[in-house]
Amino acid sequence: MVHDNNIGSEISINVNKATKTVTTDEGALQILQPISFEVNSGESIAIIGASGSGKSTLLGLLAGLDELSTGEIWLQGSPLHSISEEQRAQLRGETVGFVFQSFMLVQSLTALENVMLPAQIAGLDNPLEQAKAILEKVGLSHRSSHFPNQLSGGEQQRVAIARAFIGEPSILFADEPTGNLDAKNSDKIEQLLFELNKDKGSTLVLVTHDDELASKCDRQLRMQAGVLTELTH
Amino acid sequence: MELNLAWRLFRHEAKRGELTVILFAIILSVSAVLSLSLFSERLRTALVERSAAFMAADTQLRSGEAFTDDWETYGNELGLSSARQVNTRSMIFGEQNMALVDVRAVSSAYPLKGTVKILDKPFGEITEVDFLPNTGKVWLDSRLFQLLNVAIGEQVYIGEASYTVEKVLAEIPDAGFGLFNTEPIVLMGISDLEQAEITGSGSRVLYKTYFVGESSTLNRFYEWLKPQLDDEIHGWRSVEDDDSPLSNSLDKAEQYFLLASLLAIILAAVSIAVAAQRYSQRHFDPVAIMKTLGASKRSIQKVYALQVIFIVLLGVVLGLVIGFVIQHLVVMGIQGSVDVSLSVWHWRPVFIATFTGALCAFMFSIYPLLRLFSVPPLRVLRRDITSSLSARWLPFLAASTAIFSLMWAYSANLTLSMIMFVAGVTLVAALVVVSYGLIVLGRRLGQGQIGPWQLAWARIRRRAMDNSVQLISFSLTIMLLLVVLVMRNDMVEQWRNQLPEGTPNYFMLNITDDQKGNLYQHFDSMQVNVERLYPVVRARFVSINDEKINTQYADDTDDNPEKERAGREGLGREANLTWDNVLHPENEIVAGEWHDNWKQTDNAEHYPVSVEEGLAKRIELKLGDVLVFNVGSEQVTAQITSLRKVNWQSMQPNFFFILHPQALTNFKPTYLTSFHLPAERKSELTRLLQPFPAVNLIDVDARINILRSVVDQVSLAVEFILVLVLVAGALVLIAQVQASMDERQQELAILRTLGAKGRLIRQSVIFEFVIIGVVAGLMAAFANEFALFLLQTQVFDMSAQLHPEYWVIASLAGACVVGILGALSCRSLLAMNTATLLRRIM
Repeated sequence: MVHDNNIGSEISINVNKATKTVTTDEGALQILQPISFEVNSGESIAIIGASGSGKSTLLGLLAGLDELSTGEIWLQGSPLHSISEEQRAQLRGETVGFVFQSFMLVQSLTALENVMLPAQIAGLDNPLEQAKAILEKVGLSHRSSHFPNQLSGGEQQRVAIARAFIGEPSILFADEPTGNLDAKNSDKIEQLLFELNKDKGSTLVLVTHDDELASKCDRQLRMQAGVLTELTH
Repeated sequence: MELNLAWRLFRHEAKRGELTVILFAIILSVSAVLSLSLFSERLRTALVERSAAFMAADTQLRSGEAFTDDWETYGNELGLSSARQVNTRSMIFGEQNMALVDVRAVSSAYPLKGTVKILDKPFGEITEVDFLPNTGKVWLDSRLFQLLNVAIGEQVYIGEASYTVEKVLAEIPDAGFGLFNTEPIVLMGISDLEQAEITGSGSRVLYKTYFVGESSTLNRFYEWLKPQLDDEIHGWRSVEDDDSPLSNSLDKAEQYFLLASLLAIILAAVSIAVAAQRYSQRHFDPVAIMKTLGASKRSIQKVYALQVIFIVLLGVVLGLVIGFVIQHLVVMGIQGSVDVSLSVWHWRPVFIATFTGALCAFMFSIYPLLRLFSVPPLRVLRRDITSSLSARWLPFLAASTAIFSLMWAYSANLTLSMIMFVAGVTLVAALVVVSYGLIVLGRRLGQGQIGPWQLAWARIRRRAMDNSVQLISFSLTIMLLLVVLVMRNDMVEQWRNQLPEGTPNYFMLNITDDQKGNLYQHFDSMQVNVERLYPVVRARFVSINDEKINTQYADDTDDNPEKERAGREGLGREANLTWDNVLHPENEIVAGEWHDNWKQTDNAEHYPVSVEEGLAKRIELKLGDVLVFNVGSEQVTAQITSLRKVNWQSMQPNFFFILHPQALTNFKPTYLTSFHLPAERKSELTRLLQPFPAVNLIDVDARINILRSVVDQVSLAVEFILVLVLVAGALVLIAQVQASMDERQQELAILRTLGAKGRLIRQSVIFEFVIIGVVAGLMAAFANEFALFLLQTQVFDMSAQLHPEYWVIASLAGACVVGILGALSCRSLLAMNTATLLRRIM
């Protein structure tokens, strides 16, 4: 629907002079200075930076959760900057998966139902079988009927990862995926995340302040006071 | 997908108890409205049935002339049961004496409603019977045994016929309630009347045909009959036209039920509003997640619309069941003392309750839902983002519209609805001002060292908007409870005052001047207190402002003083005149001036007369009109100088006409008085009256008991309604406190984490709720006065008064109840360990 064939399909995300300005009591505040970069399909990038540097704002813009002030963002060939909220939602449903620091599971749905949710929203076939299969993969098939508050933090995040991968999304956004977990659980989650990402061949955009986690990605971009710079190895 | 998801969300949330609050609110509204209206419907049916018993039927067709059998036959064909009565006045003769009597000749089916009662001996023990006088026999009122000096089995003579006295008649259902024009009744079979030959030309006869049946059939019959009726001759009375002295109390009671139901609706609406708000806030995250995962706004709207439908359906079904059970239990509990029956089923309350629940749920969830739908997906990254919709006027507008339309639709009474609505709006406006005042005050008090008071004030200040909403809902709830409580107290007190213990239950007529002294002495010796004596002169109405009165048709066998009659013709030939300079108790001058200061030397041409306002209205009398009466062979002319409002329910001697004493100085009156004799001393009656055989005794004990029992029943019903509303109100308060505790969880968790002592947290919460409770109680008390003033003066026709005691009670009760509820909710929160608490708010 919103795909533009002029953009090459090997480029997953294309950001062109994107800015974000918000209005505050003291006047306009530019959170993001003009930012441009590209992410290729199957590539993994890490956006690192301190708290308040604007990395979550950038993630929100890249995933089409927020609207940018000026510039362009193309996601899988679709112009996020010029399509409606509804179209962005549809695009997210079709191509994007998410993993959040605070897991963001629907508390009144079971683990299995949480995993099924994106597949149902996207109208995929056999969401139940798919969800069961992927829960199995993350090692939680025995807890499929449990509600989020009956699961540990690590387990909740594994459910969230299963949910993120169920629709085999082209792009996976992860916002501090291990931020709420202890070291042991963090390692497990990181491992699972990268394994699945590799397995499914999806593009990974990871927001973190953990340099070690960031170093596992193909590229690292540092956000500092709204300015994005690419780090070279 | 939407249906599936909505159903799953609903199922899980219901199982996990997360829908409890909103379900509870809907259940409360539906069950309160159902039980209240089902109960009041049942009570109304019972009261209508009771009214029917006073009419001996559901409807009466009355006529000054005998009418064709075809009408009754057609009614029977339609399925109506019928009975007849011919009613006239005549002289009855015993072997020694004679008396004027009210002859009631009835067909075998009489009475269709109510019962005929007899006594074992004159003024003896009463029994209900289901049979009537045998052919050639008559049943006589106790007084006649005294007047005629006859006994059972002896002969009496009416017109050309003689009859055997068979029983002592105590009561017939449609005897009426008035005290005057009540000649003693003689009951006989209708076929026995003809031989007396007292209904020929020139006699005044009232023919009644009674009908009983389904109200739709009765209406159909009336529609058919109406074109054939002549207004001058015929009258159609149904129970709805009942204007017996009971009807006023019953009307008020019905209005009270209506008011209580309205208040229950508002209470329910408030609780639904609170619950819907909470429900919406709890779903901000799921909506943001679904949006992030790609769900369209439409899908989300569908999911939540379906969820609301599921919730409403479940709430309505559970509410109906619970409401039904409550009212069933209550009716079963009070069935012995109140004439309500469980056998009749009413659909209307079920529809009303369902409609109320659904409308409340819809109107009050629309704004929270709109807010929910507008939650941006970005919330998944930034939890502080809530909804982008914040039109504060919208929820108020939706709430006001919903409440007002429900009130109006339900009561069909614009005045009542407006009063409650205006009182509510005034309260809300006042509360907004007060809550801002509190915030300013809190700013000063909340500064400095951190103690429980400071924390409490700081929270009040910081959560200004939330607290005003809470303050408003607490105050509204307390105000509604106060209105129901005070209204009930005032009303029941006024009812009870009408017939206090010791109300005279016997009246004596025809006391002569010579007997006065002896009578007092004799009664005194028997320790019976006789009330004051009222002089009475029997007069005939001659003219009004020189216009002659046509009294050809008059229905003065119907002694109900408040009955509508056909214009001036309806007055009847005779009137009881009295005179006095002192205004009688239960009388109130509503126009002109009472004549105590009148002097003959004034330029007035005529003596002054004070007329009862209802009569004045009926026969179009006004101040200044000149009335001419015939007393014996002489004429008395009087000019109307005042109109009086008379409380006919007081069972006191009341008069249509009270003249100035000088007007009747030349006439020899008889006297009327009353006395109270306790039921256990009834056997002394004969001895009490023995020295005064010519004095007529009227036993109104039975009537007083009927009035009392109705007042008691209605009071009990009112009590039940009060309890129901109080329980509903208490539950709403709990829901409100619970909801507001949720909002405080985060802060409590943080304070706890930071090491604040449970005592400090508990005290600060209690203080906060106590402050809110005091203010809410006080504001509610003021708003209550305002609402009561409007209600009592505009709707209930009662005298309004201030209730300063409730200013204190309401604030204390507000502080205690809200404070205790806050403390209890806080206790359960503090009982959790800090980690659980933190996890709950994450």
